[in-house]
Amino acid sequence: MTSACEATTRALPGAAVIELSGEVDGSAAAVLTDAYERAVTASPENHDTVVLDFAAVDYINSTGIALIVSVLARARAERRKVVASGLSPHYREIFDITRLSDFIELFPDLDRAVSELTHPAA
Amino acid sequence: MTQVAPRRLDTFTLASEPGNERLALARVAGTVKDLGLSDARLERLKTAVAEATMNAIEHGNGNRPEIPVEVAVTQDGDEIIVAITDQGGEVNPGADEHEEPDLIRKLDGDQSPRGWGLFLIRNMVDAMDITTDGQRHTIWLTMRTGGAAHDERM
Repeated sequence: MTSACEATTRALPGAAVIELSGEVDGSAAAVLTDAYERAVTASPENHDTVVLDFAAVDYINSTGIALIVSVLARARAERRKVVASGLSPHYREIFDITRLSDFIELFPDLDRAVSELTHPAA
Repeated sequence: MTQVAPRRLDTFTLASEPGNERLALARVAGTVKDLGLSDARLERLKTAVAEATMNAIEHGNGNRPEIPVEVAVTQDGDEIIVAITDQGGEVNPGADEHEEPDLIRKLDGDQSPRGWGLFLIRNMVDAMDITTDGQRHTIWLTMRTGGAAHDERM
């Protein structure tokens, strides 16, 4: 199935960033898995944390939630932390209802996430 | 006191093809946009409609495009009711949702990562009912307009 999801990755000190856009649904499986792979292998020593940025995502459904669960499960198995940024209030609510936000720290936007991760408050 | 009869706002059908749930949510959102739902509650209804339509397409009608999913939007007093019907009969529209999703079990590999559809629907709307009539299987989504600040989670 063609995916309406796109992902770009970039490396920051201490974090790998995956910027998602479009629709996160079941058809995004390969896009998300490939992006995770690229992100954590580009410079693995720096990537204890993976940032999922949803600022340009306009739709997440239950199969997309399942993909995020799978990414989180893999990251936990690899002892990586996952954080998320840019979720709309509605999808923040869904992260709360599903309890994803118990395991994924949420930031309002990518700048805030990066700032916290690279210069954590004392 | 005068009883106002329920008012049918829209009915339409969709081919049972993956992705068509986006058409359903857009059309229902357009139909109800001026009925007094807050932005947050409109977003919830959209998610519920998309998930219910996805279930109807996939589990009810088996992704067979020639079998339509029927959508009806009705206003009854302060309630908006969206009925989504497939031809799955007694088939559970969330066939992979026999148990309540448990994120910890999912993360531990003890439960499929999937199975969030009905859970999301139940948490998005004020009421959800499922009825079957022969082959016809309908999920009813009810959302109250206005005055529903008590269940705003945000």
